[in-house]
Amino acid sequence: MLSIIKSMSLLGLNGYLISVEVDVSAGIPCFEIVGLPDTSIKESKERVQTAIRNSNIQILSKKIIVNLAPANIRKEGSMFDLPMAVGVLIATKNIKNKQINNILENTIFIGELSLDGTLNKISGILPVCIEAKKMGIKQIVLPQENAKEASIISGLKILPVKTLQDVISYLNNDLEIKPEETSQNSSPDLINYDIDFSDVKGQENVKRAMEISAAGRTQLPFNRFSR
Amino acid sequence: MISRRLPTILPDMTFEESLEVTKIHSIAGILSAHTPLISQRPFRHPHHTISGISLVGGGKIPKPGEISLAHFGVLYFDELPEFNKNTLETLRGPLEDKEITISRVNASITYPCNFMFIASMNPCPCGYYGSKEKPCSCTPDQIKKYIGKISGPLLDRIDLHIEVSPVKFDNFDNSKNTTDSKTIKERVNSARKIQQERYKNIGIFSNSELTPKLIEKYCILDTESKKILNAAFSSLGLSARAYSRILKVARTIADLDNSENIKVHHLTEAIQYRSLDRKYWGN
Repeated sequence: MLSIIKSMSLLGLNGYLISVEVDVSAGIPCFEIVGLPDTSIKESKERVQTAIRNSNIQILSKKIIVNLAPANIRKEGSMFDLPMAVGVLIATKNIKNKQINNILENTIFIGELSLDGTLNKISGILPVCIEAKKMGIKQIVLPQENAKEASIISGLKILPVKTLQDVISYLNNDLEIKPEETSQNSSPDLINYDIDFSDVKGQENVKRAMEISAAGRTQLPFNRFSR
Repeated sequence: MISRRLPTILPDMTFEESLEVTKIHSIAGILSAHTPLISQRPFRHPHHTISGISLVGGGKIPKPGEISLAHFGVLYFDELPEFNKNTLETLRGPLEDKEITISRVNASITYPCNFMFIASMNPCPCGYYGSKEKPCSCTPDQIKKYIGKISGPLLDRIDLHIEVSPVKFDNFDNSKNTTDSKTIKERVNSARKIQQERYKNIGIFSNSELTPKLIEKYCILDTESKKILNAAFSSLGLSARAYSRILKVARTIADLDNSENIKVHHLTEAIQYRSLDRKYWGN
């Protein structure tokens, strides 16, 4: 059976959509990842298989093919562990939910798996959320540790999860995940520097030059006589 | 120590600026769990052993380097001549373009790098060349080699040059008033506001972005100032780039003074910030 999960990768400062397609069929047992993965993604298969087993789910020996589309862009990073695991579980019918297609259509899955099924923090979640919102995606399932970073973006339902087991329960409608509240409250007036220009004694010419460069956004170097 | 305080007098970042900085730090994976949104301007101070790649960014799929991490903030190089020469030269482009395109087999990526560059250095290996207090013990060759690490083109891209003398004992007296960051920041903010108001119809924000044509329009000198600049130009042997930088700095000093036109003392102060490199580099 085939399942398609949406995920995101990064190219420079922008995120782009990746479809993680998982097909499980009868055949010689294997786990293949195609679609220009680099080493960190190829290693995913070990993490995904072990994390699933350690979440108390037995997968019988099957032929599992994972494709990361679009297949012509090279991908790197460990953020596809979660979508791959979810894809395998759906394709092997370990997740049963009549509305599953509806959920998958509007959800991005992203996160790195530990062998025990815990989700680890990944880098670059902010550009991913910005892009997801732009594409009209409604919700994103991500590691708990990334939730704060993602919560800057409003208009996107952020579902932080701790383990793969939580994701399974959520997709089986056994668990309600409390969405992270958006926080745009870190407004600039909260900035508190613990250093101040009044700490610097003398050196008035340096302070003056810094003031000018700050006002005009210019560059400055200085010479000094001291050792 | 004093450079570290520069972010405290820079205007606060807007939400969009914060978001862009946070994005870059997010991609680099160095965002701390406590600060989901970076609201302080970044201050990056790489050690002088830094390689060119980690400075401008790179990797199989290029990651942002220090110059991009300093986007909208400050990049500070301590002991400038100790840096690898090739590393320093990589800064030439980014200082002008405010962005860097890194091309590798797998991808070609452009990262923004609109940073303020600050550097400090000793004038010679012993540290006393040109000092009034102690004699320098270096040979001319040593000095030449030392300051020769910083190339003319790089020097030309830097707007202000100043000399820092050791702090006098009297200055340690705490009862003396020194201006605090808040006061300076207010002055900076008002000068920036003047600039934004002046340039609101032409899509730039600060004096540093003025093009040669705009300089002609906005940095008008009176006859006396023109004479001074003319004299300085020939006696200091300035380049065309240095010329336009002097005018931009003079414009900024006038803005800080809340003066509509550039006056003679604004211009002379600006020229003074330009004369130091001629003193040491002598060309």
